[in-house]
Amino acid sequence: MKINILHMYPDLLNLYGDRGNIACMEQRLKWRGIDAETHRCTCREDNIDIENTDIIFIGGGSDREQKIVCDRLLEKKEMLSEYVENGGVLVAVCGGYQLLGKYYKLEDETVKGLEILDIYTEQGSPRLIGNVVLSSDFTDRKIVGFENHGGRTFIGDHTPLGKVVVGHGNDGVSGAEGVVYKNVTATYLHGPLLPKNPQLCDRILTQALKRRYPDFKELAPLDDSLENRANEYIVNRFCK
Amino acid sequence: MRKLIAIWAAKASSVVGRLMGKKSSSSPGVIALKICPNLIKILSKNISKGVIVTCGTNGKTTTNNLLCAALEAKGYRVLCNRLGANMLGGVATAFAQACGIFGGFKADYACLEVDEASTLKVFDHIKPDVMIITNLFRDQLDRYGEIDITTDILRRAIKKAPNLKLVLNGDDPLCAQFGIDADALYYGISEPTLPQTDDAKEGRFCPVCGAEQKFNYYHYSQLGDYYCPSCSFKRPEIDFEVKNVSLGSPMRFTINGEPMELNYKGFYNIYNMAAVYAGMSALGEKTDDFGSLLGSYKPQIGRMEEIDLGKPVILNLAKNPAGFNQAIATVTADKRRKDVIIAINDNANDGRDVSWLWDVDFDNVSDENLNTLTVTGIRVYDISLRFKYAGVKVDFETTDMRAAIERALSTNSEAVYVLVNYTALYSTETVMLGIKKSLGK
Repeated sequence: MKINILHMYPDLLNLYGDRGNIACMEQRLKWRGIDAETHRCTCREDNIDIENTDIIFIGGGSDREQKIVCDRLLEKKEMLSEYVENGGVLVAVCGGYQLLGKYYKLEDETVKGLEILDIYTEQGSPRLIGNVVLSSDFTDRKIVGFENHGGRTFIGDHTPLGKVVVGHGNDGVSGAEGVVYKNVTATYLHGPLLPKNPQLCDRILTQALKRRYPDFKELAPLDDSLENRANEYIVNRFCK
Repeated sequence: MRKLIAIWAAKASSVVGRLMGKKSSSSPGVIALKICPNLIKILSKNISKGVIVTCGTNGKTTTNNLLCAALEAKGYRVLCNRLGANMLGGVATAFAQACGIFGGFKADYACLEVDEASTLKVFDHIKPDVMIITNLFRDQLDRYGEIDITTDILRRAIKKAPNLKLVLNGDDPLCAQFGIDADALYYGISEPTLPQTDDAKEGRFCPVCGAEQKFNYYHYSQLGDYYCPSCSFKRPEIDFEVKNVSLGSPMRFTINGEPMELNYKGFYNIYNMAAVYAGMSALGEKTDDFGSLLGSYKPQIGRMEEIDLGKPVILNLAKNPAGFNQAIATVTADKRRKDVIIAINDNANDGRDVSWLWDVDFDNVSDENLNTLTVTGIRVYDISLRFKYAGVKVDFETTDMRAAIERALSTNSEAVYVLVNYTALYSTETVMLGIKKSLGK
């Protein structure tokens, strides 16, 4: 078995240790004897073999970099939206999350998004910064991470990734964080997201494996004691 | 009178702080400015020859302190915020402490290390004659935000000082951009010396037109010989050129043909030396005795600081991906058998966000000369997890730095490296000095 990961624009969107998410997905597949290969779609080399893509990852960047990326991404809008509607697995963090929506309204301009999710983002003040703990229907353990975003994202009728226990979340007031739609997982949480939330990582890997190999049942368990200690440390420290 | 009270208050607060065992040298200045908001402005009139400000993500403290030492060696009186308190309060503290009890103060030069984000505020109080910018890397994103925000602040600050001469790292496109249409001198390393790796995270794209830049060679991160394929922006002509680099111990190189010898570890220190050399020249000071000066200079705490605890234990501060990668390169360049200890904290001064750990190439720590690897600090699990996913075995996880060092001392290795981020620095040095004392050294 083999899973192909596509890292979109790591040359532009690479803030906050995003490559840790890629390392986490790759390692957790390899530790189970499943092949994993990561392909990079960059400004220089942006051919995508969507038929052979099992997981797409889009990370976060600065506002300036996000604008450059957006023009590039919009050329691929139809392909990406078809991929998602057909159950393609996509993970988007921070800036990548905002780009999945209809638009991101900045002070002096509005950046058009991919319209994969029925959400929109508006720049706000102050920036929402700090450690985050979520309770989520998608994992038994709490989801932990760090947020740092100026945008307020309004998710309408979408299902959030989790409820904010500590932190600000999508818009600082609703108590919702992230979006889960079909096989899309989108969130403001970096840290990076996946290493301290191995259950969430395995959920994403399982989605990809089931789509590529319809007979696939479930992932073999791993020793996650270190991951869980790192997760629990954050939960215990910030949940009073 | 206000001035005098402000100075007394700052001095008193410094004494109280010291008695309480605090190392912060920022709060006395904050108090002084509350009493006398014009304090820096008034006192800076007593600086006869010039004010030099040093900015940049890494190398500020070393560059600033060495510049101060170079000027003092020429017999000048120099005011300097030596301890590295580099926001407005720290600058004010340096001024207040330089004053006599009756507020008297005279100096030839002021050497001020200033945090990039504080330059706008600081330049409201004092206009520098020379400004050195060492480099710009991502650093503590939760405090400073993205690097575009930092460059914007620096650009606005530079505009506030009309007669400013810039001294810029010409190898860094993010620094060199400030020299466009400005009075600028550049220093740089004009030959490839390190293994060529493309690990630039910032500054890949032309600061003028946004196109992806090309590199003839890299030093590290985005430092190197770059040019933009679509506009005229490129590595500028270098005024102070480093060449003939040999990375042994000591390191040897030339600046504009003059031979230099350096007993420090760390390739990046060549940049710090070149920055000081260029800064001296920008002030119109002679650099003919520069070589002998380097021989006698002692690095600050935690800048590859070596303490003999039966075997050499080397303490180094590294607080962002560029700094950590350079520290790791320095460790692996040392071919002795060694134990490595890494401590990661997440206090406010470290940055509360530790996701930058994943931007460091930690897999490089593991080579044939690594004996044991120990991780510690408030975020011990995060650093441990980072190593797990890098495929590097962690031998010990602990919360006790003293135990970690003592264990490393008991192995059959020849040297110990302790890499720490900011708030672990002083406590680790204290532990090391405590062990030294108990050894009767």
